[in-house]
Amino acid sequence: MAMEMEERGKVGTLMEKATNSTASEVDPRLLKAIKSVVRSSDFELRLAAHTLMDLMKRDHSQVRYLTLLIIDELFMRSKLFRTLLVENLDQLLALSVGFRRNMPLPAPPAIASALRSKAIEFLEKWNASFGIHYRQLRLGFDYLKNTLRFQFPNLQETAARIERERRERERRTREILQNKFEILKTNFSSVKEEIQSTVDEIGQCLDIVRTKEECVPPILLDDEDFVEFRSAELRQIRLDSLKEGEKIHENNDNKVVFDALRELYKLLVTKHLVLVQERISLLIRVEVADNRSRESMLKELIDIRNSLMSVKKDCEESGCALPKTAKNNTEEEEDFWEEGDFGSIKNGITTEPEKHKEVESCNADEKSRSVEDRNSKKSNKRSKNLAKLPASSMVKGKDKDCSNLSSKGKETQGHEKSVRGDLLAEAPVLKWGSFLDNWGSVSNRDTLANQKGLELDNHWGRVDYDAVIPAEKIAELNLQATIYQEKVGEIQPCRAPLNKGGLCQRRDLKVCPFHGPIIPRDDAGNPINQNSSTDNTDPDLGSDLAEQLAKQAVNNVRERDKEEARKRKLAKQSLQREKLAKVREHNEAVLRDAAMASTSISAAFGEDMGETVGERSAGRRNKQTLASMLRKKVTTKDRLAQRLLNTRATDAMIRQMTQGDDATYKESFPNQW
Amino acid sequence: MWKEIGDREMGKIRPNSFSSWIKSNRISNLQLSNNKDIVSPHRGSINSLQVDLTEGRYLLSGASDASAAVYDVQRATNYEGNGLIAKHKCLFSVDKQHGKGHKYAISSAIWYPVDTGLFVTGSYDHYIKVWDTNTTQVVMNFKMPGKVYRTAMSPLATSHMLIAAGTEDVQVRLCDIASGAFAHTLSGHRDGVMTVEWSTSSEWVLITGGCDGAIRFWDIRRAGCFLVLDQSQSQLGRRPPVLARSAANKVSVSKSLSAGQNSLGKPRAPQKKYANGHGMKQLTIGRMPAKSSARQRLHPGMLSIQDRATAHYGAVTGLKVTDDGMYLLSAGSDSRIKLWDLESGYNTLVNFEMVRLQTSKAIQLAISQETAQVFVPCMTVVKAFDIWSGKMSLAFRGHYESVNCCWFSSQDQELYTGGNDRQILVWSPCEPMTDDTDTAHTKDQDNWSD
Repeated sequence: MAMEMEERGKVGTLMEKATNSTASEVDPRLLKAIKSVVRSSDFELRLAAHTLMDLMKRDHSQVRYLTLLIIDELFMRSKLFRTLLVENLDQLLALSVGFRRNMPLPAPPAIASALRSKAIEFLEKWNASFGIHYRQLRLGFDYLKNTLRFQFPNLQETAARIERERRERERRTREILQNKFEILKTNFSSVKEEIQSTVDEIGQCLDIVRTKEECVPPILLDDEDFVEFRSAELRQIRLDSLKEGEKIHENNDNKVVFDALRELYKLLVTKHLVLVQERISLLIRVEVADNRSRESMLKELIDIRNSLMSVKKDCEESGCALPKTAKNNTEEEEDFWEEGDFGSIKNGITTEPEKHKEVESCNADEKSRSVEDRNSKKSNKRSKNLAKLPASSMVKGKDKDCSNLSSKGKETQGHEKSVRGDLLAEAPVLKWGSFLDNWGSVSNRDTLANQKGLELDNHWGRVDYDAVIPAEKIAELNLQATIYQEKVGEIQPCRAPLNKGGLCQRRDLKVCPFHGPIIPRDDAGNPINQNSSTDNTDPDLGSDLAEQLAKQAVNNVRERDKEEARKRKLAKQSLQREKLAKVREHNEAVLRDAAMASTSISAAFGEDMGETVGERSAGRRNKQTLASMLRKKVTTKDRLAQRLLNTRATDAMIRQMTQGDDATYKESFPNQW
Repeated sequence: MWKEIGDREMGKIRPNSFSSWIKSNRISNLQLSNNKDIVSPHRGSINSLQVDLTEGRYLLSGASDASAAVYDVQRATNYEGNGLIAKHKCLFSVDKQHGKGHKYAISSAIWYPVDTGLFVTGSYDHYIKVWDTNTTQVVMNFKMPGKVYRTAMSPLATSHMLIAAGTEDVQVRLCDIASGAFAHTLSGHRDGVMTVEWSTSSEWVLITGGCDGAIRFWDIRRAGCFLVLDQSQSQLGRRPPVLARSAANKVSVSKSLSAGQNSLGKPRAPQKKYANGHGMKQLTIGRMPAKSSARQRLHPGMLSIQDRATAHYGAVTGLKVTDDGMYLLSAGSDSRIKLWDLESGYNTLVNFEMVRLQTSKAIQLAISQETAQVFVPCMTVVKAFDIWSGKMSLAFRGHYESVNCCWFSSQDQELYTGGNDRQILVWSPCEPMTDDTDTAHTKDQDNWSD
C-alpha cells in the first residue's frame, strides 16, 4: 500500500481524496493543492493525467464526475496536460459521455446524467478555446455532434445570437428615433404654434372667468363660527375648506366658459404635455450629426413644457381644473348619489385627492388619459350634480365630521368582524339534531304533544290534540347526549431493531406481535430502561416527602404569581415552539429516511457494531458515502417480497393449499377410501 | 540531423540511405495531423482509400452511402483558423444522386494504375463501374453475380487491363476494361472472396483470400490456382539475406528438390538462385509453374488435401503484398495477422502482438517499405507493427468507430485512415509548430491563474 502510494505520488493521493466525496463539487482547497503540485513539475503533471484517466475508469459516476471537474480545471490551464489528454480523448469521452453501447455510465443514474451533460458542456468549451490546436478535440466534438447527434448547450453561439439580436434591436430603435427626429424637425414650428394657441385660449378663458368671479362675493364665515372648531385638525380642515370656497366655482353664468376651459385643459394635459415630454426624451436619446439644432430644439421644448406646466397649474388653482375632482368622485357618484347621502359624496371628494396623488405619481399617461376620458363622458352629469351642491363651507366642515364618523363606523364594523371571527373560532362543532331547533333560547314553554308528526286519527281511541308536554320534560328530553370519543393520539411505532437493519415501524397500542410490549426506545432501538429510573426516584420521594411537599407548596404560590407572566410569555413562546417542533419533526423525518435508505446487510453490520459505541454510530450512519450512493433504497415492497416470497413461506402456503384441498375432498366423498 | 546532412555532404552516406533515413525518421513520428483536415462528404462509413499511383496526389475514397470522392492531398481548398488548418475538400464526389451511380455501399474504390483518368468502384449493388475522372461519368459497367467485396488492378500490368473482383460468389472474375467483358472466371474458393490482391512481382499472379479461410494464388495465364497457403506449414522467421545465403544455397538446392517431390507435394517454389534481386525474382514466380515438372503434374487438379488447406480460421479479411513481392501479409477474422514467405509459401510464424480485428468487413492494410512496418486497422485504432518482429511500434488513436481502411503514401510519408465514423484522418510526421501564426488567435499555452 505504502509502495503504491509512493508510486502514485502526492498528486495521486490528493486526487484520491478529492474524488472520494459525495459533494457535487471538488473541495476547493484540495483542488488548489492539486493545481499547485501539478504546476511544480511535468512529472507530476504526467502522473496526474495518468491518475485521472485511471479514476475515470472507476465504476462510480460520482468519482467520474469529480474527476472530470479536476480534468477540466487542469485542461484549461496546462498545455502539456492537454496534449496528454487528447491522445486518449475518445476513451475519456466514452467514459464520461458514455456514448459506446457496451460501456454505459455506471450508477447512480442521476449523477451519471449530470456527468454526461457536464462532459458535453466541457467538450464544447474545450473545442471552442483549443479546438484549433488539437485535431482530436475537433474530431470528438464533430463526432458527438454530427454523427451521434448529441445536443450541445451551444453556449457560445447562443451568446453570440443574443448579442446580435440586441444590436439589431438597437439599430432599429436608432433608425426609428432618427426618423422621428426628422419629422419633428420639419414640423417643429407648426407644433409650437399649435401649443401656443391652446395656451393663449386657456389664458383668455381664465381671464373671462376671473373677471366674472370678481362680482360674485365669496361666502365668508363669521368668527363666531370659527371658534367652534377647537381642535387643530379641525381648524386645518376648515382652513382648507375655506380655501376651497375661495376658488372660483362654476355656475350657470360661466358654464360655457368652464366647458371650453375644461376641453382646453384636457387637450393640454393629454395631448400637448405628453407630446412635449415624448419629444424631449426623443431629443435626448437621438444621435444626430448637428448637435446644435438638437440642443436648441431641446431648449425650446423644455421652455414650452415649463410654460405648459405653469398654465396647467394656473388652471388647477383657478378651480377650473374640475376634471380632477370630477374624476375622483365618479366611482362613488354612481354608487351613492341615488341614496342622496350627502356625506358620503363629500367624503369621496375630500378623501380622493390623496388617492389621486398616488395614482398620479405612479400612473402612466395612458392610464390617466383613459380615466379622464371616462370623466369627460360623465362631465355633464357631474357638473349638474355639483351645481346642485351649495358651495358653503359650513356644509363642508360638517362633511369632514361626517367622514370622520363614517370612518369610525367602518372601524367598528371591522372590530365587529373580528369579534365574530373570535366567536366562530370558539363555537363548538356539533352534530345536527333536533335540539338545534331552539339553540340558545331558554324555552320554558310547554309543548303540544300531538301537533307534530303522525296523524293518529282515532285509531287507538280518541286523540287529545291539546296534550301537552311540560317544559321541564322537554328540557330533559332535549338534553344533548354525546358519545365520549377518546382522542386518537398518535400510536407510537414499536421501534425495535430489526435484524436486517432499521427499526420496526409497526404501530400497535400495547404489544407488538413481533417484538413484545411496546416500550420507549432510543434512536438505535435500544430500550430506555424505565424501571430502574423509577426505582431510583421512588425512594427519594418517600424519604423527604415532607420537604418535598413544603417545597411544592411554596412553589405553588410562586407559580401562581408567575403564572400570569408566564402565560404571557407562553403565548409568545408557544408559537416559536411550534415552529421549532415542526423543524425538529422535519429533521427527524429526514434522518429516519436516511437511516432507511442505508439499510443493507453491511449497514446493519455497522449498526450492530455501533450499538456498543453508542451515539457515534448514528452520526456515522447518516454520513453519505460513495458506496451508499450506489445502494438501492429498500422499499416496503422489497421487504414484504423478501418475507413472502422466500421458499419457506411458499412451501408452507403450498402445503396449506393441498391440505385444504384434501380436506374438502374428504368431506365431499367421505365414503371413498 | 545535422550530422547526417554533413555526412551526406561529405559523401559518407549514399543518397538512397540518406533519403530512407529521413523517411523512416519521419514515419516514426507519425501522429494525427492538426493542420491537415480532409473534409469527408460521406454520410456512411469509409470502406476504401487509395492515393493514385502516378502522382501520389489524389486520394480516392469509397463509402457506404454509395458515394466515392476524390481529394487533392497536396493542395488545400481552403484554410481555417488563421491559416492554421488546411481543409481539403473533395474535388468531386459521385453518389446516389448521380444518375448512373451505385445504389448500395461502395466497398472498393481504386485508381486505374496507369493514370488518374479512370477509377473503378465495386459496390454491394453487384456492379463494378469504371468512371472517367474528368467527366465523372460511368464509362463501363460490369454486372457481378453478387455483392462486390474488393476489386484490384495490377500495378505492374503492361499487357492486360484486368480488374480482379472478389464477390459474394465463389468465383473470382477478371473484368477486362479493354473489351468490357469477363476475361476469366477463377473457381476454387468454397465461399465468397473477401479480398483480392495482385502480386507486386508478376503481372500475371493474382492472390485471393476467401471467406473459407483460404488464400489462393492464380496464374491468370493458366487454369486453376497453383498455390494454396497452409497455415500449418511454417518456417521459422524470415529467410536469411541473399548474400549470406548464397554459400549455403548450393547445398539446399538438392534438398529442396527432393523435398518438392515428397508425398505431401508441398507447393513449394524451387529454391533458386536469385542473387540478382528484384527483377530476377519476378521472373521466378512468373515462370515457376512452367519450370517444375512436378508442379505441372500437380497443377490443374491439385491433391485435394492441398486444395483444402486454409491460411486462417475463418475468413481472410485483408491481404497485402510487400513492395518487393517477397512476402504476403494476411489478416483474418480469427484476429490473426500472418506473414507468408511467398517464395516458399510458408507461414513465417511471426507473432504479431495481440490485436482484435474487425471480422465482418474486409480491411485494408498498408505497408511502409522503408521502415518495414505494416499498418493494421484494429477496431478503432490503427496499429503499426514491425513486419519482421511483429512488435507494435505505433498506435494511432483518433477514430471513434471501427477503422476499415488505411493507405500509406510513401511519397509524403502520410497515413490516411477511414472508418465507420465517416472520417478520413490524416496522420503525418509532426512538424515543429510555427508560433507566429498563433499570435492573432488564442494561444495554446499554459495558463495558470494561481
